[in-house]
Amino acid sequence: MDALTRDPPQNAAVQDPARPQLDLELRGIRKRFGGFTAVDGVSLKVEKGQFVCLLGPSGCGKTTTLRCIAGLEEPDDGGILIGGKEVTRDPPWQRDIAMMFQDFALFPHMTVAKQVGFGLEMLKKPKAEIAKRVQHVLKSFEILELAERKPASLSGGQRQRVALARAMITEPRILLLDEPIGALDYSLRETVMLELKLLQQRTGISFIWVTHDQNEAFSLGDLVVVMNHARIEQQGSPEDILQRPATAFVAGFVQGNNVFRGKVVGEGAGVLSVETAAGTFRVPAIGTPPVLGSDVSFSVRAEQLTDAPTDQHPNRLTVQCTTVEYFGAVRRHIFQRRDGELLKYDQFGAHAQRVAVGQTAVLGWQVEDSVLHVGVAR
Amino acid sequence: MRALDYRTRSRITAWVLGALTLAFLAYQWLPIFTLGVLSFAGPTGGTTFPMNGTSFHWYQELWRATVMNDFKPPLLRSTLLALACSATTVVLSVMAAQAMRGQFRGHGWFFYLLLLGIMAPGILVGFGFAIMMRLLGVELSWDTTTFLTHVSWTLPFGFLTMLAIFNRFDKKLEEAALTLGASRIVAFRRVTFPLILPGVIGAGLFGFSLSYDEFPRSMFTTGPDMTLPLAVMAQLDRQLTPEIYAVGTATTFFSLFAVTMCTFAFWAMRRQVQGRNS
Repeated sequence: MDALTRDPPQNAAVQDPARPQLDLELRGIRKRFGGFTAVDGVSLKVEKGQFVCLLGPSGCGKTTTLRCIAGLEEPDDGGILIGGKEVTRDPPWQRDIAMMFQDFALFPHMTVAKQVGFGLEMLKKPKAEIAKRVQHVLKSFEILELAERKPASLSGGQRQRVALARAMITEPRILLLDEPIGALDYSLRETVMLELKLLQQRTGISFIWVTHDQNEAFSLGDLVVVMNHARIEQQGSPEDILQRPATAFVAGFVQGNNVFRGKVVGEGAGVLSVETAAGTFRVPAIGTPPVLGSDVSFSVRAEQLTDAPTDQHPNRLTVQCTTVEYFGAVRRHIFQRRDGELLKYDQFGAHAQRVAVGQTAVLGWQVEDSVLHVGVAR
Repeated sequence: MRALDYRTRSRITAWVLGALTLAFLAYQWLPIFTLGVLSFAGPTGGTTFPMNGTSFHWYQELWRATVMNDFKPPLLRSTLLALACSATTVVLSVMAAQAMRGQFRGHGWFFYLLLLGIMAPGILVGFGFAIMMRLLGVELSWDTTTFLTHVSWTLPFGFLTMLAIFNRFDKKLEEAALTLGASRIVAFRRVTFPLILPGVIGAGLFGFSLSYDEFPRSMFTTGPDMTLPLAVMAQLDRQLTPEIYAVGTATTFFSLFAVTMCTFAFWAMRRQVQGRNS
């Protein structure tokens, strides 16, 4: 219907200069497999050259969303725009995208040079130009010496580079990456992540990176989209999601949050009293204040707790320490809450351990460190 | 008594199984070998030992055939028929297996109906088909009616081969090609086909060898111009000479040659697919 009422923009020049051009727009896409809803009304805007991470547990619909963008799945409902052009029903080969698969999906029967040149060959470029550009790309990815090898004889790191070179050679508008470093050795991942981030910044190609690893998402993404049960729970900068989780799911999924669920039992001066199974706590109200007696959830980050509460820390809990994990910069204490859940308390710095295993401690935090979840709870 | 050491036991098992395998191979090959030897019997030799000397007499007989026992036209017919069956099986089984991947509505029925060609007794298929053709007023001939019944026999074998191949095929490779700008046809030609080629060759071999020596499905459907198995059978009815053995030996060598060529092609493809440098 949209296409009938107005002409879609043909190129960047005719676009409204006040509106930044979007590389990708998802308008409420929905995808169902039999009785299972894999993607349920996902909307997303990706600005030019943005690094977007789709984060969520397995089965949350992040990969299906990616496959819809690629055109490998057709959404039942909703629209997909790439560079302002409606492509919802277009096949993959007509979209300005490239995709990197989790296990790289290299063609086993083609040499490295042949498969890196595949995309250009599909664009019917002259042979001499293909050879030149393949040479150039292989050189810039430092895999020139592998040109005549076949994938079976390559190491994991080499395959990853070949897959990346193959996807990037046509300079697509968007690069879709499905768990692109999941198949690599753990020791390689950090280096590769940094390289990919630098590559993305240099080329200005929008990256849409699917992962279940929050470290990847938070260290790479300009925009992090947290998905669960086929829907987007929250999207925002890594800071937004870490400091202001919008739902109990996000707070629980992201490391280092202590999540509390309870009922609003009082309200005054912008502060709510929330009664939980672990006690009653004071939480700053945001947005429209919830009705007395309604169910809410809030969270407090593990590093915001203190084991020596003062008058500034009216929210307090008496708990017993069950275990302590040591990470170098952080010492994480795990306590058993009265409601059976765990309470995490992070102590920074190389100080001596303050609370021993088996010891009972009073932990407290400031009112403003509690974050009320304002997202729609489902 | 102490039980045998596990090494001794596994050594004994290996010997027993090895001996069984050799006995089986002998059982499979000795009759053919005997026929091969007897085909070189002297001119006065019969169809059993003693051979009364050795000669190429029966091969010369084969070549100097009379109208009554000329095997060359049936041989030509059978070869052409087998080649046609092979090509048809390859094309149809690849297409049918591709269709099965799509899980279309009724694909379960499609699967079982195709496999019916293996289950149904050949003699009934041939007879029923001949009756149906008679009712329809279609003249029976080796290159039309026999061809169709043979394909109904060879196709399920090729189909099963291709299903097995596609079962192990990584769909992501095709998807990678699509996202790199290849249309479905180009992705099939450049990525899918080279990777399933070993299976395609296998399906082709099934098509050839199953059709080449097919008797029951040919018996009623062939009409006046016989295929090789029918001609051999007719000859057996008339008189038994080592010439039959010569036919058998010659065609066996021909088949072995064909299989060797295909195996070589297969090997070359695998090399192509897996890459030779490591």
